[in-house]
Amino acid sequence: MSTEQGGINQVAKMSSSIGKLTCAALALGLLAIGVAQAGSREQAKRMHDRIAGVPPTAAVLDQMAAEIAAGRPLAAANIAMQSSAFYNVTLKNFVAPWTNREQSVFVPLNDYTATVIGMVRDDEPFDTVLSADILYTAPGASGVAAYSPANNDHFDQLEQTGADLKTVLVKQTQSGLNGIPAAATAGVMTSRAAAEAFFIAGTNRAMFRFTLMNHLCRDMEQMLDTSRPPDRIRQDVSRSPGGDSRIFLNNCIGCHSGMDPLAQSFAYYQYDETLARLVYTAGQMQPKYFNNSDNFKPGYVTPDDHWDNYWRKGPNQVVGWDIQLPGTGNGAKTMGQELARSDAFAACQVEKVFKTVCFRAPADATDRARVQVIKNDFKAGGYKIKQVFAETAAYCMGD
Amino acid sequence: MSRAMNLLRPLVLLAALSLAACGGGAETKVNPIINQAPVPNYTGPAAATADIQAFKINLWENLKESNRCGGCHNATGQSPRFARNDDVNLAYQDALALVNLTQPDMSRLVAKVSGGHNCWLSANSACGDTMTVWIRNWAGAVATGGKTIQLVAPPDRSVGSSKTFPADSVLYSSTIHPLVRQFCARCHASNAGTPVSPYFADANVDAAYAAARSKINLDNTSLSRLEVRLRDEFHNCWGDCATSAATMLQRIDAFANGVPLTQVDPSLVVSKALTLYEGTVAAGGNRYESNVIALWEFKTGMGTTAFDTSGQEPAINLTFSGDVSWVGGWGMKVGAGGKAQGTSSSSKKLADRIKATGEYSIEAWVAPANVVQEDAWIVSYSGGPTARNTTLGQRAYQYQMQTRSSKTDANGAPITLTRDTDRDAQASLQHVVLSYDPVNGQRLYVNGVATGDVDRAGGGNLSDWDDSFALVLGNETSGTRPWTGVLKMVAVHSRALTAAQVRQNFDAGVGERYFMLFNVTQLTNVPQSYIMFEASQYDSYSYMFAKPTFISLDPAARPGSLPLKGMRIGVNGAEVRVGQAYVPMDVMVNDSNYASSTGQPLGGIGTVIALEKGPANDQFFLTFERIAANTHTVTEPPLAPPAAPVDLPPQSQVGLRQFEEISASMAAMTTVPTTQSEVKTTYELVKQALPQNESVEGFLSAQQVGIAQLAIEYCNALVENSTLRSAYFPGVDFSGSASALFGTAGARDQVFNPLLDRMLGVSVGTQPDRVAVRGELDSLAGKLSSCGGSCAADRSKTIAKASCGAVLGSAVTLLQ
Repeated sequence: MSTEQGGINQVAKMSSSIGKLTCAALALGLLAIGVAQAGSREQAKRMHDRIAGVPPTAAVLDQMAAEIAAGRPLAAANIAMQSSAFYNVTLKNFVAPWTNREQSVFVPLNDYTATVIGMVRDDEPFDTVLSADILYTAPGASGVAAYSPANNDHFDQLEQTGADLKTVLVKQTQSGLNGIPAAATAGVMTSRAAAEAFFIAGTNRAMFRFTLMNHLCRDMEQMLDTSRPPDRIRQDVSRSPGGDSRIFLNNCIGCHSGMDPLAQSFAYYQYDETLARLVYTAGQMQPKYFNNSDNFKPGYVTPDDHWDNYWRKGPNQVVGWDIQLPGTGNGAKTMGQELARSDAFAACQVEKVFKTVCFRAPADATDRARVQVIKNDFKAGGYKIKQVFAETAAYCMGD
Repeated sequence: MSRAMNLLRPLVLLAALSLAACGGGAETKVNPIINQAPVPNYTGPAAATADIQAFKINLWENLKESNRCGGCHNATGQSPRFARNDDVNLAYQDALALVNLTQPDMSRLVAKVSGGHNCWLSANSACGDTMTVWIRNWAGAVATGGKTIQLVAPPDRSVGSSKTFPADSVLYSSTIHPLVRQFCARCHASNAGTPVSPYFADANVDAAYAAARSKINLDNTSLSRLEVRLRDEFHNCWGDCATSAATMLQRIDAFANGVPLTQVDPSLVVSKALTLYEGTVAAGGNRYESNVIALWEFKTGMGTTAFDTSGQEPAINLTFSGDVSWVGGWGMKVGAGGKAQGTSSSSKKLADRIKATGEYSIEAWVAPANVVQEDAWIVSYSGGPTARNTTLGQRAYQYQMQTRSSKTDANGAPITLTRDTDRDAQASLQHVVLSYDPVNGQRLYVNGVATGDVDRAGGGNLSDWDDSFALVLGNETSGTRPWTGVLKMVAVHSRALTAAQVRQNFDAGVGERYFMLFNVTQLTNVPQSYIMFEASQYDSYSYMFAKPTFISLDPAARPGSLPLKGMRIGVNGAEVRVGQAYVPMDVMVNDSNYASSTGQPLGGIGTVIALEKGPANDQFFLTFERIAANTHTVTEPPLAPPAAPVDLPPQSQVGLRQFEEISASMAAMTTVPTTQSEVKTTYELVKQALPQNESVEGFLSAQQVGIAQLAIEYCNALVENSTLRSAYFPGVDFSGSASALFGTAGARDQVFNPLLDRMLGVSVGTQPDRVAVRGELDSLAGKLSSCGGSCAADRSKTIAKASCGAVLGSAVTLLQ
C-alpha cells in the first residue's frame, strides 16, 4: 500500500467514524430532548449554547447550573452573557443581516453591527438605536487601522484579528467622529454601513423599507393601506404603470402614501460613492428626490425633510405608535424615534431574540403570552436587549 | 332627342335626390357617394387677401372636392356655398360664418361633420378632427395659443343617489352576459375570428363585465350604448332591431334593478355635482405642428381604424390587427403581437415629403407596458425586419433608433441606443421624440429633454428612403418585433423639431382635459363660486384631477375670508375610498390671494381616481370637512379586530449551530484560537458551506463535510502545537509508538478523557452517551494503530488528531 493510499484510507475511516458519531449523537440528542426531563445542568448547557453560541466551560456550567437550581435562571443567563462569544458570535451574526440589502450574514463587521453590539453590552436604551448620536469604535485595539468615516477598514480588521468586542468597543458620537451635525445623526440609520447599503443611488426609500423590516419586523406589504391620502407621493411613482392605473390604485398607493411622507425625513442624506461615505446636506435637497419627475407631474415635489406619519390613522394604528410623540417632525432623528418608540419596534426586538434563542417563532398561545410579557418588561425596564436575551433564554432553556 | 331626354331623366332625378339629401340640414347616416366627377382645377379670380389665400390653401382645397363638401355646397348648390369652385373669394365670405378661428374645434363646420353630416370617413369624430386641423392651419399659429378659456357654468345639479357597479361579475353573468354571448360574441370577444373591442361578450365573464360597464347606464338604462346601438343605430341586430333592442333593455333593466341605490350621506357637506363632459373643455396647449405630415390621436374609441387627422392627404389610416384595443381618454393599447398598420400607398407621403426636406421627427406619447421587452418596435416605417426607413423601438430601459441614410445600411444600422444607465424608457407615460437632421443625424428627447445620445452613424441624406414601405405602430410589418404598451398620440413631422419645439409640445400635454366647476355657492355665499379642477380621463381605469382652484365666475365677487379644510372627491353618491389627496388640505381663501381672472389656487398636487361607469356617466362632487361656516366631522371607520393568531406546527426544540458558532465552539473545545492561521484559512474556505440557520430540517451532507474539514484543522492545530498540546493532554508523550499510546484502555484514557471532558462536558444528560462515544473512539484507535508493526513515527499524533476530529466534528459540536 502506498503512502497516498494509506492517507486516503485514513481519511475514509475518519469520515466514516465521524459520520457514525454524528448520526448516533443526533439520534441520542433528539432522543434525550424528547424523553428526558432536563435538569439544571442540561438547562444551563442549553442556555449557554443559545446565548453564547459555544459550549460552557466546566466551571461556568457549574455556576449556571447552581443558579438555575436555586431558581435564578436570569442570573444564569447573565453569566452566559459574560462570554465574549455572545458579542463576537451571537450578536454579530444577529445584526449582520440588517446591514445589507441581501440580508446576508456573510458580511464583514461594520459600524452598524459594532454600534448595536456596544449598545447591548452597555445596556444603552435600545429605543434610541434609530435616533441617537452614537457610534462604537475600538480606539485602543492594536494592529487595527484607525476609524475612518470613509472606509470599513477599522471594523474589518477588528474582525480579522479576532478582537474581543466585549472589551475593545468604546462608545463615541457620530458627530464627533464624522462631522455630521449631532441633530442630523439617527443612530444606526446614519452609520456608514447603513448609508452604503440603503442611501446609495435610488431614492432613499430603501433606508425606510429595510429599517422597517429589520426593526419593526414588517415589510411594505404588511403596511399596505390604500385609504391614506396620496398627496405626498413623489412624482417618480407612475400613477399608471404600463398604462394601467388599477395597479397604482390597488397596490402602489397602499405603501407609497404612508412611506413617502416618512422617507422624506432622509431628504438631505446621500451615500457618496466617490467619497465612500455618508454625506449630509443641511437644508439642501438631494437630487434623487426629483428622479423621473415627469412620471407624474402633479405628484409631490419634496421641498424639505419634513415628515409626517399618515399611518397613525387607519389600520396601521396596530403598529402602536407612541401617543407621547407628535407623529411629525423634521429629519431622520425624530423619524427614527417615531419608529423606535412604537410597540411594534419593541415586539420586533423580542421576536428576533426569541427566534435566535429558541430557534423558532412563537408558536402557540403560551409562547405569545410570554413574548408579550418579555416585551412589556423590555419597555418598562429601559429597553435593555440583554434583559430580553436573559428572559427569553430562561423561557427556552427546557423543562 | 326624346330618347336622349328619356335617358337623361333618371340622372336628373338622381341629382335632385342627391341634392335633397344635402338640404335642410337633416343629419344622415349614409356616407356620401364617392364616385362623383372630380372638380376641375380652379380658374376663378385669385385670392384677394393673404387671409383668403390661407383659407384657399388650408381649408378650401380640402373641401371643394365633390366627394367632400363640394358635392353640395358648390356654386350652384346648397347654401352656404363655402366650397364653390368659381370664386374662392365668395367661398371665403360664406366660410367665415362657419368657422371659429380663435377656437377652431368650436367651428360650425366641425360640429356638422362631427355630428355625422356627410362625414367622408367611417368615424365622425375623425372627420371633425381633420376639419379642425384644416381650420387651425388656416387660422395659423396665432389662433392655437394664448387664448383665454371662457369658463362655462355647468348645469345646476345636486348630488343625487346613484347606482354603482357591483365589484364582481355575478349579476352580469346571470343577466346580460348570456344574451351578448349568444348574439355578439362573433365579434366582441377576444377569441373571435375578427375580434372587435370592446369585448363585452368575452367568454371570460370578468373581462366581459369590465368591458361592458362603460356601455351600461345604470341610472337611465335606455341610454345604455348596448341598447342604443341596436335601437337607433341598427348595429347587427339579430332580426327586428326594435325587438332586439327591447330584449337587450330587458336584460339591462334586470341588471340595473339588482343594483341598490347608493344613498348620499346626509351629514356630508357637499358641492353640486357634474360629470367630466359637463366641464369646460380645456383647449389643447399650444402645440407646434407647422410641419406635421401625419397625426394619430386615437380619439375614435371604437372600430378597428386609427385615423390620421393631420389633414395632410392622403391620410395614413391605420388598421388594427391582433391584440389592439382602445384606451379611454384617447389612446391605443397594443397587446402581445398586435399592430396598427397603414397601407404602403398612403404611407408613401412620408417618404415623399421627408426625402424632400432631408429631415423629420417622430413624436409619440408612449407608455411601455414593461421595461424588459427587447427588439420591440413602437413606431416603424419599414418593410420587414431587415429593411426600413426609420424605426423607434424599445430595448428594456433603452430607446432604440434606426434611420436609414447615406451613412447606414438598408436596415438603418448601426443602430443608436440611449445609454443603458440613464434608464430613459420607463413603464409610465412618456413624451418621446426622435428627430433627424442631416448634420446631427438622430437625436432623442424624452419628456422634453434631449437624452444626449449621439447618432453612431452621424447625419446623412435620406434620398434612399423606400416609398414602398408601410407605417406600422407597435410592431414590425412582419409582426416579428412586437411591442406592448399604450400609445396616446403619434405624429410625424417633416422637419427636425428643435429642442424648444419639443419642449413646447411636451408642455402642451396629451389627451382631452376639462375644467370641472364644482358649485359651492350655497356653502360659501360667494356668488357663482366654484372649486375648479383640471380633470381628464387618465387611462381606461381612472381620472386625473389636478390644480384645484377656488374661483367665482362673477368678476366682482370676492371670497372675503373663507376657510377650506379636508376636501374629498365623491363619485356617484359616495366618497371615493382610494386617492383622496386633498384630505390634508387646510387653507384660507382670502381676498389677498384671490384674483378674479384666475381665482386662488389650492395647491399643485394632482391625484388619480378610479373610473366607475365611464366619463359620460360618472357624477362627481366634492365634500368638505370645513368650508366657510359649514363643517362635517369625519370619523375613521373602526379598526377591524386583528385576526386570531394561528398556532404553528410543533417545531424542533434543538437546532444546529451556525457557521461561526461551530468555529467558535471548536475553538472553545480545543483551546485553539479562531485566528490560528491554518484554522482561519480553512474556516474562510468552508464557512459558506456550513449551516446558516438553526433548523435541523435544513441540515445537508455537504455541511457535514465542511464541519469535518474544520474539525480536523482544529485538531491538527491542537496536536501540532506543543504548548496547547501539553496543556490539553498533560503528561502524554506523542512521540511514543501508537501501540504504546493507544494499545490499552488505560493508555487511551490519557488522550480520550481530556477530549470527552472538554467536548461532551460532565454530567450533562442531553449530550451523547459518553460510553457509546468512547466505544467508537476505541474502535477507531484500534483500527488506526494496527499497522502491522510498521507504523510511521507520527502515527500517535495522527490517531490523536483523528480521535479529536471524530468527536469535534460530530453532533457534539453541531447540535445545541
